[in-house]
Amino acid sequence: MTAMSFRPDVFSADPPTLLGSSCKQCARKAFPPREVCPGCGATSDAEPVPLATEGRIYSFTVVRQAPAGLRTPYVLGYVDLPADEVRVLSRIEGLPPERVEIGLPVRLAARPAEHADAGVEMFVFRHTTQEVGP
Amino acid sequence: MRDVHVAGAGMIRFGKYPADVTLEAMGVQAARNAMADSGASPTDLEAVYVGHVFGGPVAGQRISTRLGLAGKPVSNHENYCSSGATALREAWVAIGAGLYDVALVIGVEKMTDRISGGVRPDPNDLDAAVGFIFAAGHALSARRYMADHGATREQIAMVAVKNHAHSTGNQYAQYQTRISLEEVLSARPIAEPLGLLDCSPISDGAAAVIVASTAGLRRLGISHAPRVAGCGLVSGTVQMGLPDVNEEDVSRRAGEEAYRLAGIGPRDIDVVEMHDCFTIAEIVRLEGLGLLPRGRGAALTAAGHTSLGGALPVNPSGGLLSRGHPVGATGAAQVCELFWQLTDRAGARQVDGAKVGLAYCKGGSVSGTDGASVTTIVMTR
Repeated sequence: MTAMSFRPDVFSADPPTLLGSSCKQCARKAFPPREVCPGCGATSDAEPVPLATEGRIYSFTVVRQAPAGLRTPYVLGYVDLPADEVRVLSRIEGLPPERVEIGLPVRLAARPAEHADAGVEMFVFRHTTQEVGP
Repeated sequence: MRDVHVAGAGMIRFGKYPADVTLEAMGVQAARNAMADSGASPTDLEAVYVGHVFGGPVAGQRISTRLGLAGKPVSNHENYCSSGATALREAWVAIGAGLYDVALVIGVEKMTDRISGGVRPDPNDLDAAVGFIFAAGHALSARRYMADHGATREQIAMVAVKNHAHSTGNQYAQYQTRISLEEVLSARPIAEPLGLLDCSPISDGAAAVIVASTAGLRRLGISHAPRVAGCGLVSGTVQMGLPDVNEEDVSRRAGEEAYRLAGIGPRDIDVVEMHDCFTIAEIVRLEGLGLLPRGRGAALTAAGHTSLGGALPVNPSGGLLSRGHPVGATGAAQVCELFWQLTDRAGARQVDGAKVGLAYCKGGSVSGTDGASVTTIVMTR
């Protein structure tokens, strides 16, 4: 069965790919995709482009209490994708919460979305040992 | 535009009320208190502006009908935690433009019977879909602030210690007791590094003010009242590239709008009612407004700079952390506090000689932007 995305407008699950906008005028990328470029104001109906899959943790938090429907604890962080100059808010997995640090390298993956039908996947960034430059 | 004044203020104590104390009952009581304070009768009031988020359709009309104001223009204003301040701004615009001379503004919210575990963006927003709650957003800010500026967890926690100490003088505050630094640091973690006492509570409450032109003041028999010198409103912009999450450009823009409208600068401000929904938020927003130097706000808080008696008292009311945060009521409550400060009626929490006050609210979030709504209200004696 093909994995379905929790939000097909921003993520395709197999292979895990984040979809951003890329401005035809100024080449700036944005996530989630923007119909109006935040850099130069140009409007675009272009298809979204795949974003880089490797990034670094800019900041993070361990969420210990959340409204019903969210299983705690979970790590939420800003992940910077240096190749695209884009920042993504995402779950972070692949290591215990107490070992998460600013600057750690992470890679895009897919995981089952909570409170969704079987086979529905959301994006996640997982810790990697591979260095992401620069 | 014409001068606009606050002619009277009224609140009910913020806190957790039983289910039978309804949104309508709370709004009615706050409005009656403000009407009594200004001497306004229902026939004096020409329009009603009501801020709320979770009150359901036409909550303002449900409240106004009970106040004997049925038939008058009533509007409902939703800008998440800036809703009450946005309602005030709409009244300021209408009175300034000459449409009305006397209007009632109410901020009201009933949360404890419908919200649990924290507030979050609209479910359709991408951030909500990945598990964003507002406490997490401020935790991300706090973690980065500490890393970038060498600030300590203790310095950030001092915002809560300070604001709880201030609220001991506020009969309308949800909490009116001091808390220790140790209590803040050892509280149950919510979104690390922030714990329970770094977070404003889920509250019920209502606050109201009577807003009037100079002619409206005469009608009410009031010779002098604090002036609403300017109400800024901005929305967040789409963030490009990899900026500092604590840049607070949205606060800078909101501040500049208020300063421009009021014809003042940040140095003219004597007292601030700040949207301290979380401890770190007070610090970075004061910096964004140009009221504290970038990266120094945490250390200055710990040094007493923003305490009553300090160089720039912030949240003499106790702020959201200790007065409570019924989200749609908060902006109106801030205006009540500035009214009492600028009329020397703030009692034990009075900022001596306060002549210019600023109230700041920030409401909501939209994925990829630096906020949804920010209001900045400048009031002068």
